[in-house]
Amino acid sequence: MSAPSQAAAPQPVAEETPLLEVTDLAVEFRTAEGTVRAVDGLSYRVEAGRTLAIVGESGSGKSVSSLAVMGLLPPTARVTRGSARLAGTDLLALRPRQHRAYCGERVAMVFQDALAALNPVHTVGYQLTEALRARRGLSRADARARAIELLDLVKVPNARARVKEYPHQFSGGMRQRVMIASALAMDPEVLIADEPTTALDVTVQAQVLQLLAEIQAERRMGLVLITHDLGVVAGVADDVTVMYAGRAVEQAPVGPLYAAPAHPYTRALLRSIPSTAGADRGTRRRLPVIPGRPPSPAARPSGCPFHPRCDVAQDLCRTEVPPLTGPAPARLSACHFAADVLANRPPETGGTHE
Amino acid sequence: MSDAAASAPPAARTAASSPVAEAWRTLRRRPDTVIAAVVLLFFAVMAAFPRLFTSTSPRTCPIREARTAPQGWGGDHPLGTDALGCDVLATLVHGVRPSLLLAVVVVGISLLIGVTLGLLAGYYLGWVDYLVSRAVEVFLVVPLLLAALLVLSLFKGVDLGAGTFNVILLPAVVLILFGWMPYARYVRASTLEAKNLDYVTAARSLGASDVRIMTRHVLPNAIGTVTALLPTSVAGVISAEAVLSFLGIGVRPPATSWGIQIEQGSQWVLGGAPHILLAPLACLVATVLALVVLGDALRDALDPRLAA
Amino acid sequence: MGRYILRRAVQAVGTLLLVMLLLHLLTTVAIQLNGNPAQAFFGDKVATPAQIAAVEERFDLDDPCYDQVGNPCLGPFVERLGQYAQGDFGTNLRGREVADIVATAAPNTLRLFCIVLVTWLALGMVLGSVAARWRGSAGDHGIRLTSVLIDAFPVFVLLIVYRYVVAVPLHGWAEDTFGADSWPPYWFKPSFDPDHPWATVLVPGILLGLAGSAAFIRLVRASQLESYQGDHVRTARSKGLVERHVVVHHVVRNSSVPVVTAVGLTFAEALGGAVITEGLMNIYGMGGVLWGAVRDDDVSLVLGVVTLLAAVTVVVMIVVDIAYALLDPRIRYE
Repeated sequence: MSAPSQAAAPQPVAEETPLLEVTDLAVEFRTAEGTVRAVDGLSYRVEAGRTLAIVGESGSGKSVSSLAVMGLLPPTARVTRGSARLAGTDLLALRPRQHRAYCGERVAMVFQDALAALNPVHTVGYQLTEALRARRGLSRADARARAIELLDLVKVPNARARVKEYPHQFSGGMRQRVMIASALAMDPEVLIADEPTTALDVTVQAQVLQLLAEIQAERRMGLVLITHDLGVVAGVADDVTVMYAGRAVEQAPVGPLYAAPAHPYTRALLRSIPSTAGADRGTRRRLPVIPGRPPSPAARPSGCPFHPRCDVAQDLCRTEVPPLTGPAPARLSACHFAADVLANRPPETGGTHE
Repeated sequence: MSDAAASAPPAARTAASSPVAEAWRTLRRRPDTVIAAVVLLFFAVMAAFPRLFTSTSPRTCPIREARTAPQGWGGDHPLGTDALGCDVLATLVHGVRPSLLLAVVVVGISLLIGVTLGLLAGYYLGWVDYLVSRAVEVFLVVPLLLAALLVLSLFKGVDLGAGTFNVILLPAVVLILFGWMPYARYVRASTLEAKNLDYVTAARSLGASDVRIMTRHVLPNAIGTVTALLPTSVAGVISAEAVLSFLGIGVRPPATSWGIQIEQGSQWVLGGAPHILLAPLACLVATVLALVVLGDALRDALDPRLAA
Repeated sequence: MGRYILRRAVQAVGTLLLVMLLLHLLTTVAIQLNGNPAQAFFGDKVATPAQIAAVEERFDLDDPCYDQVGNPCLGPFVERLGQYAQGDFGTNLRGREVADIVATAAPNTLRLFCIVLVTWLALGMVLGSVAARWRGSAGDHGIRLTSVLIDAFPVFVLLIVYRYVVAVPLHGWAEDTFGADSWPPYWFKPSFDPDHPWATVLVPGILLGLAGSAAFIRLVRASQLESYQGDHVRTARSKGLVERHVVVHHVVRNSSVPVVTAVGLTFAEALGGAVITEGLMNIYGMGGVLWGAVRDDDVSLVLGVVTLLAAVTVVVMIVVDIAYALLDPRIRYE
């Protein structure tokens, strides 16, 4: 199905050695209907001090892939292929126990919906420093000081008093800050944030993203920001990976991607962002939506998985899976007509299969 | 989680067919359930038509035949005789009816009371809820068996006659009086939950009457958990009756019951006639086991979240 | 927190008063329908009206309302509440103070309950945790089968079989093997021995605990399964904590809330079980006293003991509520 050559495919950005490099990752779920491939040949890399946004609809495999990196897949899921190298060590080849030891310490994760992700029966202070105490043997007093420090870091006001409180006593935005602080407790080199702002109000969303960006810049961390909202990506990310049906369909630095998408799916996503610019011009334009629904992982279409919803699909797309190739320098797109899409012209019909 | 979609298809399929059909399918796939149902049916038939199983009367008790050992099928006393010479099989067979009738009556009426009160309390809240909740609390504080001991010893001397219902009347009243609370609690909790569901709010805004909303929308939601409780509750009443009869305050003589037989038999185990105890004990365990297995299967079928 | 406890305590006193009123009304109706309970004092003997009157006076049954069916007899009820408040719980038929009887019997019931509680928690926590941790495994199925089998044998049946079938040969065997003065023969003594209260209460306690443990196993399993599926467990794992730490602090700790509630709710049921156990095994505890009182038609003793046990249940329920509030910070300031 997928092109094994993806590992060797040119990467969009390669000035620095990557902190985290995921290569040809595939994850399968066992279900009553048989095995379902949730992630199929995903590769990406994150350098120190840079932010990679992974964008996709639900079911596109973006969360599953990061859970695989963290070794947190549910028992029904299994990594069938690929590697995730953290500064040279393949996490996926480690024993579960060793893999777990890397978590929190070198690569940490921020989850969506902090209310559920934080334990309701422990104080915030306890949860912030739980790992420090259990793994580094911090004393109670030191842990408390560190917890206050962490809350200060994420700009929770009145940190000294609030470490003794419980998650339900925090507002949504503050709770998400606690979640971030807890991931930062052990100074990880890579932070994976899985839809960190989904459950929040729009204004609070911006604040939390801003905070993440600041901390990331200050500490030169590698940040993987998983989101379904291409709109939030623009201000924070350096690079973007767009996922569809378990694969990366486009990878590019954020500026060029916004300026000229090289995949019809990215283009459709960009068009469906409500823009204030349009309102300024006074043109009351209907916001385009992508027709159809994302395919169920159990029943993926043949050929290019996006073809049933694609506005430029050709016969070729129904039969051939497009490889992830570069239509331009530092750009990757899994579309047979990437060059045409990039140039924003209709594809040459008749099928020159380059 | 955004990628929960990967595990969504089976759940979606379950939701597609009706929960009742789904529960029925799960039940049928388990042979232990079928066996349990057959055992219960067997005892139910025994309760309804005792003459099918024995022609001997439990009241003909020639004392010189006392403590005859079991003679096997075909003998005069297939399961032997008890300390007074009464046929053990006959006593056993005639003892089913009061036990089962008591259990069914008690659970049925408690269920009715509990569901009604729980529904009203959860739906109207306010003072109705206050009254019901306090009543639940008060009755919960007196353990069922203690209440039964107290009341039955208080009313021991009251003569109620010897009809089928009369012999179980007192234990039934007490066990109902102190047994309706669990149903009320469960139904109240699920009513509270169901009341705020979108479709219930929708039905109300469309002007559906309270009674209609309760019976059509709220009750079906609540009934699952309660149904799973029923077999175990029936088993509980059967064994409570055995204890009360053992103490001489359960089913009234001249009716017999397994509890009374167990009480009489317990004295002869080491006196060379263990069958007087073991026969009713085995029947009791078989019935309770069948009910528990059925309850376990029902719990699984109605709450697949907790299944193995 | 202090106010919460206070409010619960006041509420509990109200409940207790209602319970006593309920018991009083039941007794009153019984006396009105049943005729004079003072007659029971004389057993089958025929007593003169003067004797009966004397007994009636002693048991506060001389109020005329007891002869009027439907009269709630609130006067004697208030009077009795006053006596209860002074620690006077009445006397049994032989004139012994109920409070005195209970004081001597209660320690044995407490012993029994200690063993029951330990059995519940040990079996429930261990088997329930194992079943939840390895859900769907052979162990899980085995544990489930065990819990079904436990449910199929009510305490009553377990104890009858133990006492009348198993205990005597086991006791003899223990005496032969370990000697008559060693501990094991006492464990299997088919009846209570006041000189060795712990040893002779051990096996009945375990059996009673066993009978109630099936519900616990199921509950622990269910609530731990729910915890395992919780997002906070995934968060804890993402911090790199070892699995044992995650299980103890995030699975077991979180599932302790429903388990504690269940201990409270099952307590009332276990009191009933204790009556059966103590009665059948001749243990001189509250239940044994009650069992004997029922057999002797000693209504005033039954009433006194049931009232006391109801009070104990109310107290246990408050303790459970407080423990609940301590364990789950979300409801503390409700």
